[in-house]
Amino acid sequence: MSIAVKKKKKSKTAPAPKQAAQEITREPQHTPSRFRHAIGKYRVLRSDACIGCGKCAELCPHGVHVKYEGAQKTSRPKDYLCRGFHCKQNCDYYCIDKCPVGALTLRINPVVETIGDPRWTPEMILSTWDMAEHGRVTNDTLNGELGDTDGGFDKLRLNFPKKPKKKLKPKDIDTSIVLNRRGEGGTQIKIDVPWYGGGMSYGSVSPATMVGKAHAAQIWNTFSCTGEGGFPPHLDPYDYNMITQVATGLFGVREETIQRVRIVEFRYAQGAKPGLGGHLLGDKNTPAVAKMREAVAGMSLFSPFPFHSVYSIEDHKKHVDWILAMNPAALVSAKVSTPTDVDMVAVGSYYAGAHIVHIDGSYGGTGAAPDIAKKNIAMPIEYAIPKVHEFLTNEGIRDKITLIASGGIRNAYDIVKAICLGADGVVVGTGELVALECIRCGNCESGRGCARGIASTDPELSNMYDENWSTRRISNLYNGWREQIIEIMIRYGVKTIPEMRGRYDLLRHVDYSD
Amino acid sequence: MEKDILDITRRIIDSRAAMHKGLPPLDPKKKEEEGGCGVTGFCCTLPVAGRHIFEPSVQMHNRGNGKGGGIAAVGFDPDQLGISRDVLENHYCFQVAVLDPKCIKNLEKKHIFRNFDVDTYGKLDTVKNWRDLESLEVKPPDIYRYFVRVKDAVLDKWIKKNRLEKMPRGEAEDEFIHQAAGAINNEYYASLGEQQAFVISKGRNMQVLKIVGYAEDVVRYYKMDDFRAHVWIAHQRYPTKGRVWHPGGAHPFAGLDDALVHNGDFANYYSVAEYLRQHGYVPMFLTDTEVAILVFDLLSRIHHYPLEYIIEALAPTTEMDFDLLPLRRQKLYRQIQVAHIHGSPDGPWFFIIARNCFYEKKFQLLGITDTAMLRPQVFAVQNGEIQTGLVCSEKQAIDATLLSLAKEDKRFCPIADKYWNARGGSHRNGGTYIFTIEDDASSPTGKKMVCADKFGRPVETPPEQSLCDITAEIGAATKNDIAKKVIEKHLKAGTAKKLAVAAVKKMKGWDYGALRRFCNAVSELAQQKDAFMHPAIETLTHLVDMRYHTGAKKRASVLQILHIALHEIFLSAPEIQSKKTGAYKLIGWKNRDRLRAPRKSETTLIINAKGFQPELNDRDSKLIVDGFKLGWKNFITFGLVGQRFHGVGLGPETDGVRIDIYDSSGDYLASGIDGLHIYVHGNGQDQIGQITKRGKLVVYGDVGQTFMYGAKGGEAYILGHAAGRPLINGVGKPRVIINGTCLDYLAESFMAGDPLDGGGFVVINGLECDDYGNFALRPRPYPGSNLFSMASGGAIYLLDPYRKTVEEQLNGGQFMPMTDADWQLIKPYLEENERLFGIKIDDLLTVDGKKMKPTDAYIKVGAVKLGVLSGTADDDVNLGS
Repeated sequence: MSIAVKKKKKSKTAPAPKQAAQEITREPQHTPSRFRHAIGKYRVLRSDACIGCGKCAELCPHGVHVKYEGAQKTSRPKDYLCRGFHCKQNCDYYCIDKCPVGALTLRINPVVETIGDPRWTPEMILSTWDMAEHGRVTNDTLNGELGDTDGGFDKLRLNFPKKPKKKLKPKDIDTSIVLNRRGEGGTQIKIDVPWYGGGMSYGSVSPATMVGKAHAAQIWNTFSCTGEGGFPPHLDPYDYNMITQVATGLFGVREETIQRVRIVEFRYAQGAKPGLGGHLLGDKNTPAVAKMREAVAGMSLFSPFPFHSVYSIEDHKKHVDWILAMNPAALVSAKVSTPTDVDMVAVGSYYAGAHIVHIDGSYGGTGAAPDIAKKNIAMPIEYAIPKVHEFLTNEGIRDKITLIASGGIRNAYDIVKAICLGADGVVVGTGELVALECIRCGNCESGRGCARGIASTDPELSNMYDENWSTRRISNLYNGWREQIIEIMIRYGVKTIPEMRGRYDLLRHVDYSD
Repeated sequence: MEKDILDITRRIIDSRAAMHKGLPPLDPKKKEEEGGCGVTGFCCTLPVAGRHIFEPSVQMHNRGNGKGGGIAAVGFDPDQLGISRDVLENHYCFQVAVLDPKCIKNLEKKHIFRNFDVDTYGKLDTVKNWRDLESLEVKPPDIYRYFVRVKDAVLDKWIKKNRLEKMPRGEAEDEFIHQAAGAINNEYYASLGEQQAFVISKGRNMQVLKIVGYAEDVVRYYKMDDFRAHVWIAHQRYPTKGRVWHPGGAHPFAGLDDALVHNGDFANYYSVAEYLRQHGYVPMFLTDTEVAILVFDLLSRIHHYPLEYIIEALAPTTEMDFDLLPLRRQKLYRQIQVAHIHGSPDGPWFFIIARNCFYEKKFQLLGITDTAMLRPQVFAVQNGEIQTGLVCSEKQAIDATLLSLAKEDKRFCPIADKYWNARGGSHRNGGTYIFTIEDDASSPTGKKMVCADKFGRPVETPPEQSLCDITAEIGAATKNDIAKKVIEKHLKAGTAKKLAVAAVKKMKGWDYGALRRFCNAVSELAQQKDAFMHPAIETLTHLVDMRYHTGAKKRASVLQILHIALHEIFLSAPEIQSKKTGAYKLIGWKNRDRLRAPRKSETTLIINAKGFQPELNDRDSKLIVDGFKLGWKNFITFGLVGQRFHGVGLGPETDGVRIDIYDSSGDYLASGIDGLHIYVHGNGQDQIGQITKRGKLVVYGDVGQTFMYGAKGGEAYILGHAAGRPLINGVGKPRVIINGTCLDYLAESFMAGDPLDGGGFVVINGLECDDYGNFALRPRPYPGSNLFSMASGGAIYLLDPYRKTVEEQLNGGQFMPMTDADWQLIKPYLEENERLFGIKIDDLLTVDGKKMKPTDAYIKVGAVKLGVLSGTADDDVNLGS
């Protein structure tokens, strides 16, 4: 009893990182699904005919079948690990055929067809889960590279030379990028991977999700972003790796939240919904969220679509200057959507003093962005990146500003594609949520009803997992991506990320090449 | 007659067809990106020199990026041009900007000498080497200037050919000039071909010059420092496109006898350009500004619309403002709107236009703002022996102009008589003010200036008040003076406020000499004894802050005299590095590196802002941050010319810090404060008090756009008005009193809890201070629409004894009963308001001589729980928690 009281007190006064959290390293740690029956591509059924001989468990190298010592029967198959029909064709341990009593059957899991969408196909979701669980690809029968759409990154392929010019080893490869290129002072920041985490506000996702993102950013010496709902105290230990977002509603934006970080991001627009502000529907605005935003609980919170104080480029300059008056060492990022004149916007941002121009294309957005906006307004990111890259190059300022792309960047291949199109790095969002077992049902805005407890602030739902689990899953994902990128760079024969920037020759568009 | 005009209009348009033959159709995508801009303009009954456009232009550097600047001037001195007055007034000043010198011979032969009788011509003199002007990256164009009339025979032939015999011959000549310029632009500048030359302006008694560079470089490069004109407008452009090689896209753009600068961005460039094409205009420079002046030219010169109609066509009156117009006007305006909606620029814009009204023999300067007022604008007027009208993007540019003028000529005062904003498309002023300069034999300058709004309602200042000549002798003391001994007694006793009140009582009767003697005495005493500094500053500051009857003196001059004395006192404080002890220490640009922690008995750091930059590291407001970190708690900043970010960057929990701001403060003041108190002794600017968390902001004047956007808390007291969009997205518990009113969108999406349970509110008293220091109720406490729209928390309290605020002004808010609890909530703030500004609660509640119950005098607007704002219907969240 007395211990419990003590604990309570402690958590009230000091929201310091938990001891366990500090143990997480970049090294992949096996972090399985938090559900007893994880979703897999296949269903493997064991009938009553099973005699518990354990042959299947002996055979399967993927761990689908397990027979615990002393158990009479083989356990229920962990079919999410199963390679399915691929096994039948290529392996000599296909359990279905090998079972002496024919007790096993295999079929496509009908659930799989209900998750995801053409952009985030079921296989890509499953592949991301695989990576989040193991820290690398263990199941190469899943297509985690391409989605099923008729455009975007799904139409681009990496164009590998038959033999790379230089023979490189993983240790030769440098995956870092620098974020401050203005050469006018300000903090010098180098991140170890060519991506950072996108803004998801306190209120739109659960605290364990926010902390997991932030902690993974810390582990990988990169960044995560607050979104526009303020800087909740559980992010305190990670402020060195946080970006404070200043969005149009100015929710939770205070001088102190701008002064404590190294990067401040203006969210002028979001690619998923240009021309619309953020909106947190009433149901998600719980008393805790309302307290953080100092608003009225239960009311929908809309941020205006523009900054009321910024209607022109000189207003933007003033806006940047204001941030620098509060925090002179900060890097300023301008996050904008991709209208047809995005190139002009980028140049304008540079002249106004921004260090990073972050263009957010149309493929991104969680379920909270309205479909009509998500699918119809902004320019696809694969068009916007080269447009901006070339314009900045022609202006002679390309090497003075960092171009970050986001909006539908799902995996390591997409990251490389975005860089080859001309970006310096990318911002990822949905990928991290998928690592936390998001099934892309698209009901994020319904708030407390997120079936998986990710985009929820409901006290019960948001306790479905803790921050250790989310940190490990995201960190594993990061490790997997990095390994894949290194592998790609070895095949390309390039040592550093900037060497790939704007190298269209490293890509191939399936419609426009032989 | 009307039929004739329509007939002529059609024929004019037909006559232009040939000019544009063979041009490709408009490309909807083709438009140069416009960034933001800084615009300024002033006019004066005396022709003033070009160098006075310098200071405001430099002030606006941060509104431009040196990639496009220009000026226009109207109303010259013929001697300076070496021509006769007749030629100046009746000849067209046809100016060609030449980018490629090879083309001029041919151009002259084909277009100038063939068509025109040329009185005088030549190339404009410039500085020898353009590289001497540091900020120039590209050589400005050569300007060839011709004073011309159209040859009679040529004009006759043209009139006959186009069957324009019914058109007055003068107007026909105007149109010919217009088309001749068009022909040159077509041939030498068509946007698709090679860009060799273009006609930069062609009007009478006016000219436009523009370059790739800053506006003041135009003046320097073309040696116009001493060139005098009645009307000047200037523009700093901020094109987002980086490389700009020629100034074709820079502003101003000229019509015939008028020129326009513009800050903004049209959403419907294509539609307006298409509309113009149908009327025989072909925009060639791909900027919004060009189409703006062409629409203006069409409406004024071709359609002969009066200014009021033109403005209505550009910025339509809508919503409640439309309903408040007289019925006759509503009918008329509806017709105008229906006819011209396609040519009406959509999006944020603000125009400044300089005109030579040739047929009416007057010059005009006007500022027009769009209906949504998305661009900043300030108007000002100064009357006296010389009259001056000013309009700018920012108030500090106005002050810079006046300061520049006053330095040279004692007949100018560095402070204007009046500063105000226009409310776009409003029934009150139509978002436009017009300064008109015309001949007046009774005036010492031979000219007089009238300022009026769109409807012709004049803006006046008390005619009996005159400016102070501060170079005049101060004179001997009279018995009406406050004796130096008495002053000393008060300073000794520290009864500064009593002394100030005594001075206010005398103020009406005092002449300038008496006031100056009083100020001198206060200043001298302060300089004698360190202990007198504080009460002396307090006395004079109180006189700056209060509103009172100034008798035959102008308030602007009174302020000038008070500021001179205050500056003397501030500058008399020992410099920070000196060994002298005292409560006050002075720091400025030169000794800024000597900043150190306060020593015993040092209380206040006085910062002389002269020479500091408006932003980044060389700004004066950084000294406050650095000083605070070293332990200073009290700051006085003076000599500001629009520098920004005062009170920004001190970090959390700054209780006990006090900052006093004098002179022209800048944007983003107090944005982010958490505990400190900041007093602005004058007007505040745009974006003040954003995201304020805690603390107190007092402004002894007006505040600009988006005041306290996203504020979380804090108290604010505003003596005057707020411009558009104050308190948007306020959350938490901001508590604000605005004694004036505000333009529009007050407290949109306000979310500040339950005011009766710790939340936030705004009190609007709706007062206007007249020229004699009396506060009275305005016709309505809140003139605009969208009051408290989409708000989900907090409340607005309006002093509205006549119940002028109506349902139509709300957009989601609702009237709620004003209870005693509400009154008890706002009363302490009104008491503080009374203490700060002398606006007595008793006076507020006294209506038509009778004292009303507070709950009757004030009304309350609260939040409605809208379905769209709340989540599910059966939600049982605890509101107001």
